[in-house]
Amino acid sequence: MSVHDAIPMPEQRGGLSLRKRRLIIHASIFLGLIALWEICSRLGWLDPLFYPRPSSILHSFWLIYFQNANVWYHLYTTMVLVLAGFIGGSILGIGLGALVGFNAVIRRFLKPYVIVLEATPRIAVAPLLIAALGFGASSKIAIIVLVCFFAPFINTLSGVVNVNEERLELFRSLGASKMQTLRKLVLPDAVPVIMAGERLALTAALSGALVAEFIQRDKGIGSLILVYSRNLNMASAFACIFTLTILGFLIFRGMEWLDHRIAYWKNEAGMERVAAKRAAQMGDLNV
Amino acid sequence: MSDVSSPKAPGTADHLMFRILPHLVLFAVLLLIWEMAVRTGIITSIIIPAPSKIIGAIWELYVTKGTIYRHFFITFTEAVVGFAIGAGVAVTLAVCSALWDPFKRYVSPYAIVLNVTPGIALTPIIIAWFGYGMGSKIALAAVISFFPIFVNTLTGLIQRDEDREELFRSIGATDAQIFRKLRVPAALPLLFAGLKIGLTTALIGAVVAEFAQATDGVGVLMSRFSFQLNMAASLATLLSMTVIGLILFYSMEFLDDRIVFWRRESRGAAASRAKARAWKSRMGQ
Amino acid sequence: MNVMASQPSKTDSVVGAQGLGKTFGGGAVVALEDASFDIRPGSFVSLVGPSGCGKSTLLRLIAGLIERTSGNLQVHGKEVTDPRTDVGMMFQKATLLDWRTAVENVLLPTEVSRAVTKEDQKNAAELLRMVGLKDFLFAFPSQLSGGMQQRVALARLLQTGADVLLLDEPFGALDEFTRERLNVELMRIVKEVQATTLFVTHNIAEAIFLADQVFVMTPRPGRIAKIVDVPFDRPRPLSIQTSPEFNTLVAEVRDILGEDH
Repeated sequence: MSVHDAIPMPEQRGGLSLRKRRLIIHASIFLGLIALWEICSRLGWLDPLFYPRPSSILHSFWLIYFQNANVWYHLYTTMVLVLAGFIGGSILGIGLGALVGFNAVIRRFLKPYVIVLEATPRIAVAPLLIAALGFGASSKIAIIVLVCFFAPFINTLSGVVNVNEERLELFRSLGASKMQTLRKLVLPDAVPVIMAGERLALTAALSGALVAEFIQRDKGIGSLILVYSRNLNMASAFACIFTLTILGFLIFRGMEWLDHRIAYWKNEAGMERVAAKRAAQMGDLNV
Repeated sequence: MSDVSSPKAPGTADHLMFRILPHLVLFAVLLLIWEMAVRTGIITSIIIPAPSKIIGAIWELYVTKGTIYRHFFITFTEAVVGFAIGAGVAVTLAVCSALWDPFKRYVSPYAIVLNVTPGIALTPIIIAWFGYGMGSKIALAAVISFFPIFVNTLTGLIQRDEDREELFRSIGATDAQIFRKLRVPAALPLLFAGLKIGLTTALIGAVVAEFAQATDGVGVLMSRFSFQLNMAASLATLLSMTVIGLILFYSMEFLDDRIVFWRRESRGAAASRAKARAWKSRMGQ
Repeated sequence: MNVMASQPSKTDSVVGAQGLGKTFGGGAVVALEDASFDIRPGSFVSLVGPSGCGKSTLLRLIAGLIERTSGNLQVHGKEVTDPRTDVGMMFQKATLLDWRTAVENVLLPTEVSRAVTKEDQKNAAELLRMVGLKDFLFAFPSQLSGGMQQRVALARLLQTGADVLLLDEPFGALDEFTRERLNVELMRIVKEVQATTLFVTHNIAEAIFLADQVFVMTPRPGRIAKIVDVPFDRPRPLSIQTSPEFNTLVAEVRDILGEDH
């Protein structure tokens, strides 16, 4: 993500390194904002009923994680749903994408439907699915599958369709079979694009789970946020939201790690790792 | 598609018919199979209604009763206004970040925090803050459409084309001129990509907020019909969301086509012809 | 064009063509017209000419990547219908697979035809040493320079075991110095493996420097205008390019190509 880029390398200047000075500025801006918020609230400029104080959010963290410890159950429920839906959606998306990608006829006839599907807010089907499948986990998972299958689908499709012409010609000149071309060229070539789709899918899966829980209002972190907001327990609602921020960050990092492992040739460390592995596998190559 | 230059062949209309016909036939066949499956009881009509039922519901919602239009208009407005606010803030912040390094350094972490938080999670809080009316829907649409636009615009603006910049400097261009005449146009394709994503997310925001708590809008209509197990009407309502999505997407596509004309061959050709004509008339030819 | 197209003795000709032609778009575009020639075993042939003269088309016909529309074409006395294992091709771009190390890229042709053995791996490593990449057996394409990538592609070409090598402007995208060095090495290597080589280029001096025979080709329609014999022994030093004989040949080819070149 290019927002991280373009941050200059740290350099020595005076006593503190630039990096340390910047860290201090970051921290003071952050703490300043928090303090400002707290003060405004205490002076009565911000209604604490709607805009909870940082101190009460902190207190709520302690409440929901340790004193009441009720967040764990909901977090667990949501995560299981997200994972199940994500895996289902990925299999569906990648499978369909490959199928459609390899078949020009299907591709042609499916195009209008894909356009329509792309324009429809897929999450909008949530109430319909709940009505059709009833309350409970199955309809939630169906919603998640539906919202997260699209990115892997489109990316697999485009990855499979956009194979480099020259490489295809190379494989033809080597007399490679269709299956070999698929296994040794088309699929590996599509992997980075598919992984990019998977990243989007996991984020979408979390959003899908939240919406499903908003509607069903039984359990899960989404219903917890809804209930807290309804009761105007905004501090706890915010504590849940920040929990999701941390979760989102972990998901982001986790997918990044996975991406680096799977599309190893796109990063230096991955190439080194695989090169060492191959060298060990092949052993002595001297004649 | 929009190739204005190519001379229209006499059989163009036939040709178009010829291309669309197989699609129409396939669609009709699929509908027919679906209808038969429901009528013979292979598919339960409660869960998946027959196409004829859906068409009936569409007829009722859109023609005889016309209930859909008020809700359609409300959701459309929410999405567009929310998008406009989100895009306005995003582009402003992105431009500030691109122009002023410290700003980027100290603001971007918050943008990233906002990005990894599922924006949808804010729905209940935003409803508590902005009420049950259109305000909360607009706010959610703005919040979740912000990030894709911000990150795309910023990425576009901070990508540096050293060669071109050197060219600009060699002809004595100022920083402001380089920004206006080089960096902004270079960022436009990415900006539009961001805007397109943002527009789609804005619609999602509006609809989800309506699901959570609202009295009007297609989202409300949708959940109401669903919970009455009126699947046909529910699907007919879903269609209206597709229509909103298509309208929003294609209007952005149209703008993209006009403004970032150099990326499309046909538009590029048309634009260069228009410019040539303008020059000629200016030269008095 | 060629008077001896009639019936060459099989041992004399590795690649033979009689009245070979290729049109595209149902005859609308004539890419190659009436090409007749015989290529001796172990010889090096350059195809030179401007864009659209049919040199790449000719190469792709021999590789079996495209089908001819007229005439005959044999490799080792057998009509060419499909890509075959006794003909190997190398392209202007290295077309390496990004997710494979150099040695795995070289092994690709073997993998396509059968299971890879330890011997194949050793052979691939040996070929990489031969093209000067002994320290880069397990490097990925993105870690190699353009010249090194082409060296890997060359090793991959040799790994096919084909004795007819088709090279389509293989070093065309490289800088002049790298290209010259690779040309000298190419000359050494094809001599070493005793392959028959067809080399496409649009550089006249390069064509002459490398080859025993230069097919001078002209466009619209693409055809072989003349076959020029190069009398020097191979391999040759780079310095030969400054000799008067060499320059006479350059002038001759330039003359055939006309003012286009």
